[in-house]
Amino acid sequence: MARAVLRPGWWAGVSLSLFLGCGGGEANAPRAYAWRLPAGFPEPRVPDDNPMNDAKVELGRRLFYDVRLSGNRTQSCASCHVQARAFTDGRPVSEGSTGEHTPRGAMSLANAAYAGSLTWVNPTLRTLEAQALVPIFAEDPVELGLAGLEDVLLARLEADAEYPGLFVEAFGGGAPAFSVDRVAKALGAFQRTLVSGNSPYDRYVQGDVDRLSASARRGLELFFSERLECFHCHGGFNFSQSIDHSGNVFDQATFLNNGLYNVDGRGAYPAGNTGLFAFTADRADMGRFKPPTLRNIAVTAPYMHDGSIATLDEVLDHYARGGRRIDSGPHAGDGRENPNKSLFISGFTLNPVERADVLNFLRALTDRSFLEDARFSDPFSR
Amino acid sequence: MNRRSAPMMLLSLLALVACGDDEPSRREIEVRVRGGVGARSFVCGRSYSGIGASRSTWEGRDFRLYLSNVRLVDARGGSVPLELVQDGKWQHGTVVLLDFEDGEGACRMGNADLNGSIRGSVPAGDYAGIRFDLGVPFDVNHGDAAVAPAPLNVTTMWWNWNAGYKFLRVDGVTAGLPSWRLHLGSTGCDGDMMGNVNACAHPNRASVAISDFDPDTDVLVADLAELLGEADLENHKAGDPGCMSKPADTECAPYFSRLGLPFGTQAAGTQAFFRKE
Repeated sequence: MARAVLRPGWWAGVSLSLFLGCGGGEANAPRAYAWRLPAGFPEPRVPDDNPMNDAKVELGRRLFYDVRLSGNRTQSCASCHVQARAFTDGRPVSEGSTGEHTPRGAMSLANAAYAGSLTWVNPTLRTLEAQALVPIFAEDPVELGLAGLEDVLLARLEADAEYPGLFVEAFGGGAPAFSVDRVAKALGAFQRTLVSGNSPYDRYVQGDVDRLSASARRGLELFFSERLECFHCHGGFNFSQSIDHSGNVFDQATFLNNGLYNVDGRGAYPAGNTGLFAFTADRADMGRFKPPTLRNIAVTAPYMHDGSIATLDEVLDHYARGGRRIDSGPHAGDGRENPNKSLFISGFTLNPVERADVLNFLRALTDRSFLEDARFSDPFSR
Repeated sequence: MNRRSAPMMLLSLLALVACGDDEPSRREIEVRVRGGVGARSFVCGRSYSGIGASRSTWEGRDFRLYLSNVRLVDARGGSVPLELVQDGKWQHGTVVLLDFEDGEGACRMGNADLNGSIRGSVPAGDYAGIRFDLGVPFDVNHGDAAVAPAPLNVTTMWWNWNAGYKFLRVDGVTAGLPSWRLHLGSTGCDGDMMGNVNACAHPNRASVAISDFDPDTDVLVADLAELLGEADLENHKAGDPGCMSKPADTECAPYFSRLGLPFGTQAAGTQAFFRKE
């Protein structure tokens, strides 16, 4: 009887795949998601009911840039979260799909996966999935404008040539195929991948010492000094004290008052933007907002929750003085005297060279690879 | 007793005991609710005159509310839960959504369906009172709205800014306020790092008791003329035009007063929003 000659490599390949296929797990056991994280970054926290997978992330990207997520089809998430501006929109406050303005500016989505809480001030919004529902269904003001129109949204997705298949790939089968929940989960999964950690500062810290100019290195020292105290509110790997990740066990949602207003001389902020006070009605929370990440800060002007500071130079003026004085108009008052102001904002002096150094350091937090990463870009653009 | 009749006697005894174990019967109840503006009823886009302390002409744009924990009062004065029909639409658990807007015209935030009924069952018997909460129970109010079952998945009853639902939603227009809204919900809610709400400083859930209410013949009225009765509906000085339950908005006080809820330093009064007719 002739013997078939089997090439050992081929056989090993077959037996290996058979072995793996029959290995003790279930037929559809999910593989661990392959994060591409910068060195030194922890894994983001992932909700148990929304595991990461590549198909879901890609679906979320598509939805993020899809104007069918607005009632009148004029806006998508990307309208106020533009990649080139680290997913902000360059405006003091944002304009919704029907022309109404938000009270606060669009926050950068860079590293939103690591935020201790979401939006400028909401102590109850903790997941990207929960936050995604807000601009889609908000009425006051109207943002994307789909309140009461979820059936319309789902019908639009169902009628699309691509979405039915993409939803199955992302979520498996199961009915209903389309739901508000799945839209929120896909958007959450996509946003969770918007990780920025490849700035010149990062590369310097990883050992590429030429990445920071001498000026920026001096600026780094000043930023982390007890003289300027910036790092107290804007420290850590994400340059913000408001932080969460998979290894975090403490509630690190943070809201701070940085002395922007003092309308009544006793700490009041302008109506409609009283900060955490609007949630707690505790006077001690008046004017407290989330300290945002300073990553990519050079491309996310204007600054502060209401965009009321236009340039980084003026931001330094604000902190150097220890609070802002407004001389006239409805918001007149001296924020430096605000009783709720953080104790770390007591003012400092910078000579012109030092000022340039700090600004150069802040500019070194711009991660160009993030701003241009094709994985985060508009899949509909031609 | 001889040995042959003992088993028969035992069987008869068992039969008697078995008959005594029958379940008491239940009866179905449908409590009818009228969404009213005084003697008239709420209809989308209709104007009503003489409303509020300002005696305004008020045009309705929305009127929906969640009731929960509905109980009927039996002949001995005890509360008996009205077990709601789980209809997969208006009622879930102990929560019922009443909806008096038909989504037409100016009521664009609403939907076409109307509901003015609370349907459930109670043990057979006579009842002479009704008690309920205006609002969504705490253990259901802060869940994931995206996966909540109807009627908790109505996006226009979500209250994203403060994690929970609008217990009551009334929208309208007057000459002085083109965008007046009364939205009631819990405020001062404290969230943990997972987004779970632990407690709310101001639950704002109104407990209502209507005595001498016969669920078979009487109608429960939710009267906007009463609810808005102390408010200035023409002028807006601070906060939101109307009231969105924000603790610092003094213009909420006249509405909370009629709801029987405390507001700031104002103690809870007697609720006047609900009555029987």
